[in-house]
Amino acid sequence: MKDTEIIELQEPRLSVADQFYVPQMLVGMGTTLKHMFMTLTGKDRVIQYPEEKREDIPVVEGGMNLRTYRGVHRLNKDEGGRVKCVACFMCSTACPAHCIHIEAGESPWADREKYPIQFDIDELRCIYCGMCEEACPVDAIELTHEYDIVGLTRQEMIFDKEKLLKMYDQTVEKEPM
Amino acid sequence: MDWLSVIPPFVYIALVAFGVVLVTVAYLILLERKVASWTQDRIGPNRVGPWGLLQPLADGLKMFFKEDYRPGGTDKVLFTTAPAAMMLVVIVAMAVIPWGGVHRVETQISVAAGQDVLAAAIASIPMNADLVGEPRVVEAGTYGIMYEYAFQIADLSIGLLFLVAVLSLAVYGVVVGGWASNNKYSFIGGLRATAQMISYEIPLGLCLLTIVVMTGTLDLGQIVEKQAHYWGGVIPAWNVFAQPLAFLMFLTCIHAEANRSPFDLAEAEQELVGGYHTEYTSMRLGLLLLSEYAEMIVTSSVCVALFFGGWHLPGLLGPDAQHPAVTSSWVVVLLRCAVYFIKVLVVIFVFMWVRWSMPRFRFDQLMMLAWRSFIPLSLVVLLATAIALYFAVAQDESFRSLRRIDGYTALLLFGVNIGLLLGAMVLSRVLPPPPLTNRRIGIPGSRFSHTPVPAAGEVEAVVQTKREFLVGVSNQL
Repeated sequence: MKDTEIIELQEPRLSVADQFYVPQMLVGMGTTLKHMFMTLTGKDRVIQYPEEKREDIPVVEGGMNLRTYRGVHRLNKDEGGRVKCVACFMCSTACPAHCIHIEAGESPWADREKYPIQFDIDELRCIYCGMCEEACPVDAIELTHEYDIVGLTRQEMIFDKEKLLKMYDQTVEKEPM
Repeated sequence: MDWLSVIPPFVYIALVAFGVVLVTVAYLILLERKVASWTQDRIGPNRVGPWGLLQPLADGLKMFFKEDYRPGGTDKVLFTTAPAAMMLVVIVAMAVIPWGGVHRVETQISVAAGQDVLAAAIASIPMNADLVGEPRVVEAGTYGIMYEYAFQIADLSIGLLFLVAVLSLAVYGVVVGGWASNNKYSFIGGLRATAQMISYEIPLGLCLLTIVVMTGTLDLGQIVEKQAHYWGGVIPAWNVFAQPLAFLMFLTCIHAEANRSPFDLAEAEQELVGGYHTEYTSMRLGLLLLSEYAEMIVTSSVCVALFFGGWHLPGLLGPDAQHPAVTSSWVVVLLRCAVYFIKVLVVIFVFMWVRWSMPRFRFDQLMMLAWRSFIPLSLVVLLATAIALYFAVAQDESFRSLRRIDGYTALLLFGVNIGLLLGAMVLSRVLPPPPLTNRRIGIPGSRFSHTPVPAAGEVEAVVQTKREFLVGVSNQL
């Protein structure tokens, strides 16, 4: 860094109101009073989360656009109710957080060679970037719009195949493939 | 009604006031959380009961059932004494608050023949009441007597002095608690509270003196009574209208006195973990927190008594214009208590409003505010008030005999206050700036210091100038 690049900042000289503190204090108290009034009259207040949700509010009013929201994963099923995944490992390769663990096995069905015996996603390690969804050649893994998942232990938050398939059943009506 | 005449009035006033204040203290914590939420566009506690009204109950239960932990190395006796002392002091200070003016009671006594009537009358009235007038004969052996008593716990003629003495003891809770905790953060909190208390007691006392000079009495009940009339028939004669500047300083000082933000350096949670109550848990912590709010009630009550006319509202004056505090109606007395309490709540709301609007002062700013502005300004206000009162003599004889402030004097005092305020504003521009504290000092050669890098031959000279500058700064400090 050169001397010429350094900008010397001087503290601005205080105005009389600043220096005497009281007028500026009253201005500040006016601001908080305005906020109190707005809150009490219900004109401006935070969303009351469990009762009100951001997705129920229009986007222009500060709501959430669910269509672009990346939430917890699901494993899609095909028409026969079988898991769509072919255990190609594309998603776990693409995953920047290394949170997808797949164990492949020989498929019991004639139309494909492999299927996942085990399919675990660590939802705590996942960064919800959606790269797995992009990488999947058969559209088997998808990110749903569910964001309020909870678990009491870390182990609970590692979603296995059954859980991910169940997530499909829960969300397929709201979010078709 | 026999038992009522046996128990002196101050006992049941004390019981009721104590209960009301303790319940209010619990609800003040809820109010504080609500006010905090409102300023931050939130709604606040609303899960326990309707509008969260049972929240204090839940908090209290939590406090009782928490583990009463005392860390090793603490002073066992002082550690327990501190919260108790703090609460005790605040409750004792509550005794002189003039809740309801003076209550006058008319009653009849029967006196046996040959007995001294006056002595029998005095024996029959409650302990702290005064007999008014002579006993008059109703029929043979029965006399009608009148007595009156101040509707407060202790009617001290030096109530204000008592309050100042007791309230400054409250800091002992903070200091002793901080010291007994054997924790450096608690200790620093206690030290800060001490220095702050010493500094802010002075302007606080001077503001009180201003009011004492105006009213000529230390009795809180009489101070309130002297405000119970109207200037020009319209404006209530509250001291706040005559002494706005003294009121402003008093309000700031009671913020510091009650350790409230922006003067809550004793418990600055960002720097001192929890401040003086870092090591406290369970109900000992509960007592410390509650006494903080109880102290708010007491200081607000003093503020209301001194500056906002206490129980005074139109329609609550007694029949006697000379002594408007005296009333014989129970309804009026109770209404006065309610009015007083509502006024106190309004002042407490201001406390909370300020807390959620102002950032905390740095410690040197806090000291500068007390020593460089408040102490000189309050001294000048006191002096100016004394001079103005010497020259402004009330025209009306009744005002003079009662030592009331009449409208013209009030206007003069108001003008003096505003003039001093403007004068202080001008003077603060003219006076030399405060010493350089906490300013960044350039260190030659450091890459964080924006000082020009000297040429090869000039290093020695630059170091020399810097050294001189540093010496100059430290001399200035």
